[in-house]
Amino acid sequence: MAENHPVGFQWVMEAKERGAKVIHVDPRFSRTSAVANIWVPFRAGSDILFLGGLIHYVLENELFFRDYVVPYTNASVIIPDDFKDTEDLEGVFSGWDANKKTYDETTWLYEGVEPVKAASTGQGASEGSHGGHAEHGLHAMPDLCKYQRDLTLQHPRCVFQLLRKHFARYTPEMVEQYCGVRKSVFLNAAKTFCTASGPDKTGAICYALGWTQHSNGVQMIRCAAILQLLLGNMGRPGGGILALRGHASIQGSTDVPTLYDILPGYLSMPKFGEESKTLDAYIEKYGSRTGWWYNTDKYIVSLLKAYYGESAQPENDFGFHWLPRVTGDHSHQAYWLDMLDGKMDGLFVMGQNPAVAGPNSGMERRGLAKLKWLVVREMVETETASFWYESPEVKRGELRTEEIPTEVFLLPAAGHAEKDGTFTNTQRLLQWREKAVEPPGDCRSENWFAYHLGVLLKEKARRDPQPRHAALLALKWDYSIEGEHREPVAEEVLREINGYKVADGELVPGFTALKADGSTACGCWIYSGVFPKKGENRANQRAAKGFYGHGWGFAWPSDRRILYNRASARPDGRPWSERKKLVWWDFESKKWTGLDVPDFTLTKAPDYEPPAGAVGDDGLAGDKPFLLHCDGFGWIWVPVGLTDGPLPTHYEPLESPIRNPIYPKQQTNPMALAKARPGNEYAASPDAHFPFVMMTYRLTEHHTAGGMSRTLSHLAELQPEMFCEISPDLAKKLSVTPGEWVTIVTARGAIEAHALVTSRIKMLTIDGKPVHQVGVAFHWGYSGLVKGDIANDLIAISEEPNVRIMETKGLLCNLIRGKRAENLDAIGQLREGQGQR
Amino acid sequence: MAVAAFLTDATLCIGCKACEVACKEWNEVPEDGLVLSGFSYDNTKALGASTWRHVMFLEQPEVAGPQMADTKDPFRWVFLSDVCKHCANAGCLESCPTGAIVRTEVASVFVQPDVCNGCGYCVVSCPFGVIDKRPEDGRAFKCTFCYDRQKAGLIPACAKACPTQSIRFGDLEELHQRGKSRVQELRDRGYDDARIYDPQETSVGGIHAFFVILGEPEAYNLPPAPVVPTVHLKSAWSSALISAAVIVVLICVAFAFQTGGTL
Amino acid sequence: MKRFEPFARAKTMKPATQLKATEERLEEIRRSASDVAQRTAPLQPMGGPQNPKQESYYGLPALKAPVWTWEVPLYFFLGGIAGMSACTGFIAQLFHGGSALIRFCLWTGLVGAALCPLLLIADLGRPMRFLNMLRVFKLRSAMSMGAWILVAFSNCVLLAVVCFELQLRGFANPLLVGLLWLAEAAAAVTGLLLAGYTGVLIGATAVPVWSENRTLLPAHFLTSGFGGAAGILELAGFLIPATQILGFAASGIETLIEVMLQVRKRPVDTPLHHGGSGRALLLAGLLEGPAALLLRAFLGSGSKGRCAAAGVFLIGSLLSRYAWIWAGRASARDPGAQLQKKA
Repeated sequence: MAENHPVGFQWVMEAKERGAKVIHVDPRFSRTSAVANIWVPFRAGSDILFLGGLIHYVLENELFFRDYVVPYTNASVIIPDDFKDTEDLEGVFSGWDANKKTYDETTWLYEGVEPVKAASTGQGASEGSHGGHAEHGLHAMPDLCKYQRDLTLQHPRCVFQLLRKHFARYTPEMVEQYCGVRKSVFLNAAKTFCTASGPDKTGAICYALGWTQHSNGVQMIRCAAILQLLLGNMGRPGGGILALRGHASIQGSTDVPTLYDILPGYLSMPKFGEESKTLDAYIEKYGSRTGWWYNTDKYIVSLLKAYYGESAQPENDFGFHWLPRVTGDHSHQAYWLDMLDGKMDGLFVMGQNPAVAGPNSGMERRGLAKLKWLVVREMVETETASFWYESPEVKRGELRTEEIPTEVFLLPAAGHAEKDGTFTNTQRLLQWREKAVEPPGDCRSENWFAYHLGVLLKEKARRDPQPRHAALLALKWDYSIEGEHREPVAEEVLREINGYKVADGELVPGFTALKADGSTACGCWIYSGVFPKKGENRANQRAAKGFYGHGWGFAWPSDRRILYNRASARPDGRPWSERKKLVWWDFESKKWTGLDVPDFTLTKAPDYEPPAGAVGDDGLAGDKPFLLHCDGFGWIWVPVGLTDGPLPTHYEPLESPIRNPIYPKQQTNPMALAKARPGNEYAASPDAHFPFVMMTYRLTEHHTAGGMSRTLSHLAELQPEMFCEISPDLAKKLSVTPGEWVTIVTARGAIEAHALVTSRIKMLTIDGKPVHQVGVAFHWGYSGLVKGDIANDLIAISEEPNVRIMETKGLLCNLIRGKRAENLDAIGQLREGQGQR
Repeated sequence: MAVAAFLTDATLCIGCKACEVACKEWNEVPEDGLVLSGFSYDNTKALGASTWRHVMFLEQPEVAGPQMADTKDPFRWVFLSDVCKHCANAGCLESCPTGAIVRTEVASVFVQPDVCNGCGYCVVSCPFGVIDKRPEDGRAFKCTFCYDRQKAGLIPACAKACPTQSIRFGDLEELHQRGKSRVQELRDRGYDDARIYDPQETSVGGIHAFFVILGEPEAYNLPPAPVVPTVHLKSAWSSALISAAVIVVLICVAFAFQTGGTL
Repeated sequence: MKRFEPFARAKTMKPATQLKATEERLEEIRRSASDVAQRTAPLQPMGGPQNPKQESYYGLPALKAPVWTWEVPLYFFLGGIAGMSACTGFIAQLFHGGSALIRFCLWTGLVGAALCPLLLIADLGRPMRFLNMLRVFKLRSAMSMGAWILVAFSNCVLLAVVCFELQLRGFANPLLVGLLWLAEAAAAVTGLLLAGYTGVLIGATAVPVWSENRTLLPAHFLTSGFGGAAGILELAGFLIPATQILGFAASGIETLIEVMLQVRKRPVDTPLHHGGSGRALLLAGLLEGPAALLLRAFLGSGSKGRCAAAGVFLIGSLLSRYAWIWAGRASARDPGAQLQKKA
């Protein structure tokens, strides 16, 4: 976190100064480890084994916060008899179809819960078209409230006991043997963290790409969620899990999404099939009878009104049929492979640099050469824009500029100080930025581009009114324009995102005012409330009051700084302790109150019991903090929504130096997609040609693919050259002198880098054998003031099954002294005999 | 305030280099080399004419940091943002023959860029190796203590940018107190080798930008006993004058022996 | 068709004139960085793991090396000769009245006084600002003193030459004679200072090998100066007993200095004995000392021998100045020299 969120990290330092303990679990000793109390070096990719070890520790030592776990989580819920754990089936859960390579998740539901009828689960499910970024994936939500519980947590088939059984073999000895974490270090870390639990103490977990960029990344995060639920840390001050979202406004880019499978506010994009024939079918599938998603209809209708304005009417399902339908895997990895196969004509690339940052970036660059046209909007000429004459493939003669058919348009983009708008940071905080200067020359903002492109497209549609252009014609696109550049007024967009009454344009105070009858419009329901009244742009407020900074910016939803903060009070509504009070029930005024905006219906009493047939939020009791689950529980067990299991299981990465010690018969995540094909090959696990474990990571000095940092001298000089980091043991083994050029080779590619020899990378002992790790810094490319080889040429295109992210850590590599051009023969030999998956 | 000062605390530094960048941005300092050093994450290597804040990265295999307390691998990574010390008795100021280097009203040491003619004498007069001549420009440059910002009521750019307040700007006396109590607190927390670096007992007379460090100053290239070179003047001039006198006598003797009228 | 100018100057919302200088400066920085980026080939980095004894920060220099170029040691050499020539001339005049020798000494002083400022100005980073040297008169700065000494010497020796030449051409005005004596005396004094202050200049710095030899350096530079002045006289044909004595004295003292340097081997003196600077200094010391001494002793009866001795001394004298600057650079680059000094 200190490496990549130094400004946010000041609060960790502040906490440390006040006595908090900082534990850093990372294969490399980074700037975070330097100031941590405990550093736990471990093998990249063995995270679930480690976290499972912590869960095991908590369960064995009875460190879980029982008074929290029983009421607030589904630990007590009973699972049907026909569920079989990975322990029973040697690495897969019940419902596994080895032919279709998919799970039937029916047996994962709670006992007593009926699965949803097949008709509304949607046809057209092509390979990998499950999972997703929406709240419960692309599944219909059954009525989970029909659960049965054992509040003593003794029932052999309650979640708690199944959890215990599932993680029974994740012992400290296993962690030592296969993660490479010395037992004493593990126990020290476990004791320090797992005793941060209970009424008076909490602990927080922060993670970033060290967990997300794995073939079982979602399950790694799930492990942390289980741990935090067991310890009673969710929804409590100083607790929770902080996903360190990447830079600038990437939180915003999933909230108001640039992802193919979700709509603003984590509504699901409709899938092609029965569920998307009518709006009602969609709502039936994605709404839920109880819990906050009961309001799905209000949000989708308001969104459609925002999109289509007057054209969206009850008669035409508010234009629902104009939304595109998901017909398969349209993720970056999937469509890029389509691009390679010549199935795509063109691409807009804005605010991304796939030539450097894409997985198997060498292959991605070849993909770009298959396009007919490419539009890149950037502040500088990034590698993506210049691939056609500057990429390594062109330089080496593998591609010839004259033969690349792609017509490349490079359009200049405005920088962040040259446009109005909001950033949403990792804290879900929207902060408005005012334009400080006009952009130079022809540079324009994204708003300008999207707006004027839309105008042009609408004009084209008007002149050519085919059915497929109807959506464009219907699009409400009447933003005000200002300034000499005819810039759309960004505040207007924010007001639309906030939501307004269609009749008179009055802004809504929040998402509870949204309606399903078409009388409200709202661009993103979770942001609603950011602009509740004319002139009150809460994202632009800078008068922080109180402990949580209310009055500075606007945290969605409804300015709640800590989500699910109902859990910071006991079931009876009193705070767990004076020290850790956050929100509590005021018995006098019969309202929730406290130091944060309560993430709960203000007037719902702690002892509220929903009457029979109650729906929506009313269907959840007063002691159910997790409103977006239809059962109100924090899910230790995920009954629906994930493709690869209700519980996290240790699998090895797609390339690994060892066989899976927990389940030898199931080496990797059975649902992960390796997408193996020529150019995207994999090493065997283990592989004599690729004995070292590789990971990519970032540095404080540079920013993502380097377009904004390697072009500025003040940043470029801080880390001017591409390097990799190896341990003194590996340097000695390979006779590498510090600083000299080495070639890193994987089954996909080979790059050259300087070797930084440092004790900050450790040789690990895995299963009694030495395993070396190689850290590869990811920031360099062939453009800019300082140039270097591209780290992502080494990694594979692969897909985690829920969110389709690629695996960048824990892969296998080899290291040879000397520059790439000197080692072509050796590279060829290594990649010749590689294993295929 | 009377005396502007920096307290830079290694134990709060996370090595982010925001100070280096903020300083360069504000003061329009050019790049100082685009070559990898190989010395940990420090590619800046030292203060100079075009580096006025320099973050050091000490990888110390022989010293156990708190993270390694119960392991057999002692290791520690310490960061410190180095800066011009703005000495109470400054070698550069004393030596400057044009009067370009002056003491400001906040007691900082400032090089007037419109006066400096690049003679280079300050460069060899700084016992901390701070000030240097910028080859393409010709003049000597160093940290200005953001004199322009101070005059406008702002704090220096590096202090402003530092996210963890490892760099603190304030009055010298207040920061002295803070530094002292900080070191005490660190010692109590188990950082046995925490200390203040502020050589007051030498002729430098104390520095206005002083540090909380872990371990010996030498490990940071900070001289344990820096002197302001003017203390050498007395003995050097004495030697010159005595030698001159002796030589005059010698020449007299030589010409006294010279017989015979005019030459 | 408009070209895309990625670094076009931003149109600002404030009046453009306010930010013009800043924007130009940014442009300058971008251009120079771009130049460097294109010029810099990826060099073999020299770094490595930390010095395990924590004696310094990765063995990087703890001081800045002198930035002076070839003009400065040459200036030391010429200034020494010029100043000591004027001094010698004056003393000669004291004992023996006006003569060709005195005239030669004064003219040598003047030539030196003309060349020295040019050399110093050429070494300045901003040569056009050379007059700034006279903004202050700072006793605590040897370079300030040196600037004034040079100015004073130049003026005095110029005046002395003018008066001398006038007197030579028959203007035997008592005022002129008085002025001549005054000028010569002043030139002698300032000349001595000119020859000796340069030792103080480098001795009173932070460079360890210089500051630890700060009593030696003025003595050595003065000796080198008067020996050089005498040598120039000999080479110009003034093969008289006085110059022989001065020649012997200078090379004798230099021999003693060399012996002392060789015997006293403090760690800080490493650059004086090792590396390029050590070899240069040894050669210089041998030339100025034993070589000149022996040549003069065994061949000094004849004019060729004396001239050889004088020449060898002069070469050694010039080389010595360069060697000491070289040694200073090496000393500044050795962190141990600075960090291991006790108070």
